[in-house]
Amino acid sequence: MEYVLTQFASTESTSDGGIFGALGIDITMLVLQAIAFLILVVLLGKFVYPVLIKAVDDRQEKIEESVKAAQAAEEKAESAQENIAALLKEARKEAKEIVTTAKDEATAMVEASDKKAKQRSEKIVADAHEQIEKDVIAARKALHNDTIELVALATEKVIGKTMSSNVDDKVIAAAVKEAN
Amino acid sequence: MIHSFAALDLHISLAAETIFHVGPIAVTNSMILGAFGAVVMLAILFYVAGKVKKGSYNRFVGLVQWMFEGFLKSTEDIIGDKKLARKIFPLAMTIFFTVLITYWVSILPGVGSITVGGAPLFRGLPADLNFTFALAIITIVASQLYAVQRHGFFGNIGRYAKNPFTNPIGAFEGLLEFIGEFSRLVALSLRLFGNAFAGEVLLLVIAVLTSYFSSVVLPFFMAFELFIGFIQAYVFFVLTLIFTSLAVATHGGDHASDDSAHNTTSIDHSSADTPTRAAQLE
Repeated sequence: MEYVLTQFASTESTSDGGIFGALGIDITMLVLQAIAFLILVVLLGKFVYPVLIKAVDDRQEKIEESVKAAQAAEEKAESAQENIAALLKEARKEAKEIVTTAKDEATAMVEASDKKAKQRSEKIVADAHEQIEKDVIAARKALHNDTIELVALATEKVIGKTMSSNVDDKVIAAAVKEAN
Repeated sequence: MIHSFAALDLHISLAAETIFHVGPIAVTNSMILGAFGAVVMLAILFYVAGKVKKGSYNRFVGLVQWMFEGFLKSTEDIIGDKKLARKIFPLAMTIFFTVLITYWVSILPGVGSITVGGAPLFRGLPADLNFTFALAIITIVASQLYAVQRHGFFGNIGRYAKNPFTNPIGAFEGLLEFIGEFSRLVALSLRLFGNAFAGEVLLLVIAVLTSYFSSVVLPFFMAFELFIGFIQAYVFFVLTLIFTSLAVATHGGDHASDDSAHNTTSIDHSSADTPTRAAQLE
């Protein structure tokens, strides 16, 4: 311990260069070490740092370019989104118009077909009435003729002789009138 | 305990010790380890630069590149002027790497314990005041050179020398600023030296005190010293930038030339908090 404690004292006492000597400062050493350090600075400054600085600058440039590209892409995306929104709006509007038109057309078509169907049914009914009318008339006529023939036959059998058609007709008409 | 502590012949010296001579030049133990640290640093950085140039990254290269990018950004943030920041950056970055690597290699086992003629064969370079003083002188001289470049020779002198009759407070402030330059020089060198020297002594003392348990206890202190080494390197790096930033900044544009008005404005704005940061770091 005593040895350790006396180290500094012995250093100071043995040195003859004052405080600088006691601290171990020697002008030759100092200059040599300064020169050695400056050589290091020059060596590294010429061969090492430019390479590393260039790499840093290149990287920085790339990052800036990427940031710019990202910003441009973002702007593009925003613009595309706006376009999409506008297109969607337009499409919705068009779709709405198409639906409205389709509904109108469908309604018109339904109304038209209703009308047509009604007309057709009315015509069918009218035709049927006409046909029935015709059939009734034809049936009446046939019945009339049959009745006349029947009466003629009956009368012939009753009076026992055949009358002329002129007489028959008169008799038949009278009989029918009576019958009515 | 005290007996065994003394018996171990703990060798502590403030100054780096001469191991051998190359002609008239004395080679100290700190220079040996410093040279080793410089070789390691150059090997690492040239390896990284080569890999970066080829574009073949691995985790280590990525880590160094990431750290380098962070320091470059810090430099630009602190200095404010990108052009000046790129000029001062090689010096500040080399200071960081040199202090970091030489500090870290001084934590290797064998430093302080392998002796030649009673003196340790290796000593951390930051634990040699010649080195830290040289770094501090280079930093202050560089900041003064950039200040002269920015303000002109007389403009820079005008930062310190003001007419005491027309502006007595300014003259006093200038005097304080002038003294401040020297105090920065001393503070920069002694801070790093003090931490590195104390770290080496701490490891030595812990090794002696814990004796057979030192292999269990020392790694914790070594890890702590690695952390301190990083902090010291970073502090030296940031203070270099802050001193340069303060030297090139103008107060109210008294000495700013017209052509540097734009740059000066940006520096004034960016370095608004630099004195505070410098004070915090110091």
